[in-house]
Order: sequence, then structure tokens, then C-alpha cells
Amino acid sequence: MSQSPDTPNLRFSAKAVAELESLKTHYPNLKACILPALWIAQREYGGHLPPEAIAEVAHRLKRSPAEVQGVATFYSMYNTGHKPGRHMIEVCTCLTCSVCGAWDVAAYLEQKLGIKMGETTPDGMFTLHGVECLNACDRAPLIQVGDEYHGPMDEQKIDALLERLRNEPESKVVALADALVQVHLKEEEREKARRAAEAVRN
Amino acid sequence: MGEYKLLLRHSHDPAYATLDGYQRLGGYEGLRKALSMDRQQVIDEVKTSGLRGRGGAGFPAWIKWNGLPKQKTKPHYLICNADEGEPGTFKDKQLMETCPFLVVEGMTIAAYATQADVGYIYIRGEFVDAARSMRRAIDEAYRAGLLGKNILGAGMDFELHIHTGAGSYECGEESALMSSLMGERGMPRLKFPHAPLPTISGLWDSPTLINNVETYACAPFILSNGGAWYASIGASTKNSRGTKIFSVSGHVRKPGNYEVEFGTPLMELLELAGGMKGGALKACVPGGSSVPILDAEACQKAIIGYEEMMEVGSMVGSGGCMFLNEHTDIVEFIWRTSMFYKDESCGKCTPCREGTRWMFLILDRIKAGQGRPEDLQLLEDVCRQIDGRSFCGLGDAAAWPVAGALKVFRHEFEHYVRHGRSLVARG
Ligand SMILES: Cc1cc2nc3c(=O)[nH]c(=O)nc-3n(C[C@H](O)[C@H](O)[C@H](O)COP(=O)(O)O)c2cc1C
Ligand code: SF4
Ligand code: FES
Repeated sequence: MSQSPDTPNLRFSAKAVAELESLKTHYPNLKACILPALWIAQREYGGHLPPEAIAEVAHRLKRSPAEVQGVATFYSMYNTGHKPGRHMIEVCTCLTCSVCGAWDVAAYLEQKLGIKMGETTPDGMFTLHGVECLNACDRAPLIQVGDEYHGPMDEQKIDALLERLRNEPESKVVALADALVQVHLKEEEREKARRAAEAVRN
Repeated sequence: MGEYKLLLRHSHDPAYATLDGYQRLGGYEGLRKALSMDRQQVIDEVKTSGLRGRGGAGFPAWIKWNGLPKQKTKPHYLICNADEGEPGTFKDKQLMETCPFLVVEGMTIAAYATQADVGYIYIRGEFVDAARSMRRAIDEAYRAGLLGKNILGAGMDFELHIHTGAGSYECGEESALMSSLMGERGMPRLKFPHAPLPTISGLWDSPTLINNVETYACAPFILSNGGAWYASIGASTKNSRGTKIFSVSGHVRKPGNYEVEFGTPLMELLELAGGMKGGALKACVPGGSSVPILDAEACQKAIIGYEEMMEVGSMVGSGGCMFLNEHTDIVEFIWRTSMFYKDESCGKCTPCREGTRWMFLILDRIKAGQGRPEDLQLLEDVCRQIDGRSFCGLGDAAAWPVAGALKVFRHEFEHYVRHGRSLVARG
């Protein structure tokens, strides 16, 4: 590939490029596209935002990588640090959940997976995380996995959920990023992206 | 008094989340009525209704609606604050999931009244189901000519977009939300009187109206039934009108959202939620993590209303109502509260950044049995240093629950410091 030294390696799919083009029409400037573009990037880069992903977003929005990195690191749902496991399990330990058994849920998950909060299983399958209120406290104790909320949790439900996730080849981290991209887009914009993806395939 | 279901009346009917079903059940009457009135009349109806912001602060809605310039020189923007992050609150989530058209119609009415061209619903990133529900509703509304160009043939244009957050409580604060929407870190901005109001200079320095999900969802009812009708609900209170949705959780049998008329006793919420579970009532945080905790005695006296709640020492807030039973260790509960604010402080100003950290560290050592006799005084000092001195409302919100608990449940803190352990036997 012959690219100028300033052009980072570009990895966005045709679909992603079409999605970003539509998003640009939602705001009066490119800077406002940074957050949604980071969701696209998190999906395109497999659930993670390595420096190359940041550079690509910056390039496509004509911003500096430092600016985009600064924005991304502010928000806890952008995975700018270590690459997370295939599925991220977020355990709410906030107020209602903590008085409704969240510490037991957390301890049980740690024991079942053999890791502590913040760690990833050696096979790269699961990352465990403690999170603040997910604002579904009527279902305490609650956990989030990608685009799904689960609660109230008990040991049996945790067992069943882990079993299901082990057999789920699609990363839940990627599923969440994709879901959030899709909700930004109008019907005809989603259709446009679908056609762009198809055109490449044919 | 029981429940007063206005917004949530059809929330259990899946058809209500479709345009057909919504219109069959009275949907879009409010917008039709609004479009037959002039803009100022719409704002006057909202004024008559007495509607106050449901996002936490209870600011009169009509003042903001009326605050955007009548002579347009720039685009006008509308924002729906759907970042619902206040621990204990989950009403906006349910409204978006089950009554999405109330939000779309409410925003469209507000857009008409304020001459807004473009609206954004800022939904927290974790709320995928709510965002999908809003997406479906917006797509349907566009298809039916209820969004976009020449809405209902009345010559009104309004574009409505969804923008999602990415994990930050602070982005619920309106100026931080605007920073985030413009593609920046979610830091708050200088506020009135040191800077113009958002209604004059908000998003991209243009006039901007920002309201909470529940606030907008009230607008269709106010327009279709009239402001005076709305104001007759809750008329027993000093200055709170209409209904309020409370998200009831904690040690209750039937946690969930319950909509009540202002003027309803707080204990009715507990009854609606099926009563206490696992032990007698000890305490209640009635309006989300930021508001001061009430003991059982105060709960008995508390009436739901903005002023009425302050009379017993707490606030309506966002309506995140947590009931706690006798086995709850209040010190641990407040420790967990302080951990939340320490984690979520954006770090821009010193009183909050340092203060929330110190509050947590002191509470952490008290909880670990290492508390010192002077620690309670120290905690109170830190609260005083934060309250009113921080750059945005998060600092105050972090200080209130700690200061409140030190007053109401002081004996539990003292017991921890004196004996190095909890007063409460674990149930
Ligand atoms: C730290 C902080 C967090 C907030 N979070 C929210 C929120 O999640 N949702 C919300 O509607 N308002 C939130 N607010 C209040 C908003 O700043 C603002 O007052 C509200 O969106 C105005 O809408 P309303 O007048 O309809 O209530 C928060 C305020 C602070 C200080
Ligand atoms: S009060 Fe806290 S959240 Fe608000 S600006 Fe200061 S540090 Fe940031
Ligand atoms: S405390 Fe866990 S969802 Fe609110």
C-alpha cells in the first residue's frame, strides 16, 4: 500500500466508512463525530481502541490523534487500555446492588472464573469489571454483558449465563459497540451502510 | 392516594411503543393542538401547568422554554437529557423503553415552542434497550411525517438524532453533557452569571433547551389536556404540580417505577412497592444518591413535594428512592456512596477532586476499624469545604449524603470509631 507517511493504516470496512459519512450529517462539524466514530472504531478493531484505531479516527475526522486519545480516555466504555476478553462482565456494586447481594455475585464470579475484578481469564474469554450504578436497580444485583442486562442474579443464573457466553463466538464487547453505532443511524442510513458492505462483497 | 398513572398509564401495553398504538391511545393530540396555537401560547400552557424539571433540580420548565430568543438569528437546538446516571434511578430507562413516543412528541412540542431546528437525545451508552426503542420510534415518526420536513403539513421542520454517552456520570450535568455532545471530554463549563445561559448560548454557541426525559414526556399531556388541568394534580402541595415517577429499590418486595401525584406520603411508595423485605424500615434515600438520607421517623412524616421534602431534610431529586432495612450498615452504605462520587469526579476543580477522595479515604478507614475520634469532625469539615465551592453540582451532590448521614445516623459512625466495628449485626 502506498500511503503518505502521515496517513495511518486505515482499517475501517466499507460499511464503517458509509456509517461515518452519514454521521457527519448529524452535526455541524467533524469534531462532534468523535464519540460515535470511536464506537465504530471499537467495533472495527475487535472491541478495543489501540493507538492505530485512535489514529484512524483522528485521520478520518481531521483531528489530531492526541485530541482523540484525550477524549477517548475520559470515558470508561472506550477500551483504550488493555485489550479486554471476548466478553466483558460488568458487575454493578453500587448502592442498591451492594445492599442486595452484589458483593456475593462479585465473589462468586471471581471464584468461578479464577480471576479478580479488572482481570481477564488466561484464555481471553472473560474480563471482569466492577461498575457504578447501571440504573436498573429494580433488578439488583445486576450485571451487564455487552448489550445485555441481567438481573436479579444468583449463582444458578450466573452458571447458566457463563455457559451460554462460552458458546457465544461473537464478542459481546463488539456487539455493544455495534448496537450503539446502529442506534445513531436512521433507517435509510443503515440501509446505505448495508448496501456499501454488499458492494464490496460482490 | 395510591398510584396516579399519567405517563406510565400504558407502559405495560407493548402497542404503546408503536406509532399506531400510541395514536390510538391519544398520542400526538398534544402536538396537533400545539401546532394550532402560537408559540407563546404553548409556553404559557407550560407555565400554567407548573411543570418543573424532573432531572433533579426542579427548575420551572417554562422559564427555560421562554428563554430562547424569539427572533431567530442562529440555529436553535434541543437536548433531551437521557444520561440517567444518578444511582437508584431508572425511570427514564423505562419511559424510553415503553413510552418512546411520549419523549419524541414532547420534544417536538418543545421544538415548536422554541423554534428548534435540530434535537439530540443524549442516551447513556449502557442503555442499549432504551436507545433501540427510541430509534424505532424515531424511524416510525419520520416515516409518518411526524419528524423531518413540514411536520403534519404545518410547515414545521425538526430533525431528531440520537447520541450515546460512553460511561461517565458527570455527563448528566448539562454543561458537561454539551461538551460531550460536541466531541470533548465530559467537563462542565462556566455557568451563569459568569457565562450566558444555555438558552442563549449552548451547543455550538447557539440557543439550546435542555430538559430531562420525564420533563419532555409530560408535555403531550399538558398540551392535550391543558396546563390548568395538569396543575390541578398535586394541588395540595406548596409548589409541586403533576405527577412524579419514583424508582423504588432496595429492601422492598416489588421494586419498580411508581408514578404518584405530588402530595402523596412517602410511605405510600413503600406500600406500592410491596413493603419491606428482610426486616423493618430503617432508612430511606428518597431522591437518588445525592440527597440526604432519612431515618424511619422522618419517612413517616415525609410528603412528596419539592418544598415538602426539604422540610424533612431531604429532596425529591431525580426520584431514585431506596428503602433500607434494619440490617443495613449505614456507614458502609455511605462509604459506598462516597466511592461513587470519588470515582465519578471529573477532576476539574480542587474542592471536589480532593474532597471526594478524602471523604472516601476517611470513610474507608472508619469502615476498616481504623477510624480516629476526630474523623467525624474532619468529615464534616470536608463536606463544608466542598458544598457550594465546587465548579459544578457533582461536588455538592457528593457532600450532601455524607453530611446528612452524619447528622441522622451519627451514633452508627461513633460506634464504628469507638469499637472499630459496625453497630449492626449482619442479618
Ligand atoms: C453531576 C450531575 C449529574 C446529573 N445527571 C443528570 C442526569 O443523568 N439526567 C438528568 O436529566 N439530569 C441530570 N443532572 C441535571 C442536569 O444538569 C439538568 O439540570 C437537567 O438535565 C435539566 O433538565 P430538567 O430541567 O428537565 O430537569 C445532573 C446534574 C449534575 C450536577
Ligand atoms: S465539582 Fe467535581 S465533577 Fe464538577 S467540575 Fe469540579 S471536579 Fe468536576
Ligand atoms: S445500584 Fe446496581 S443498577 Fe443501580
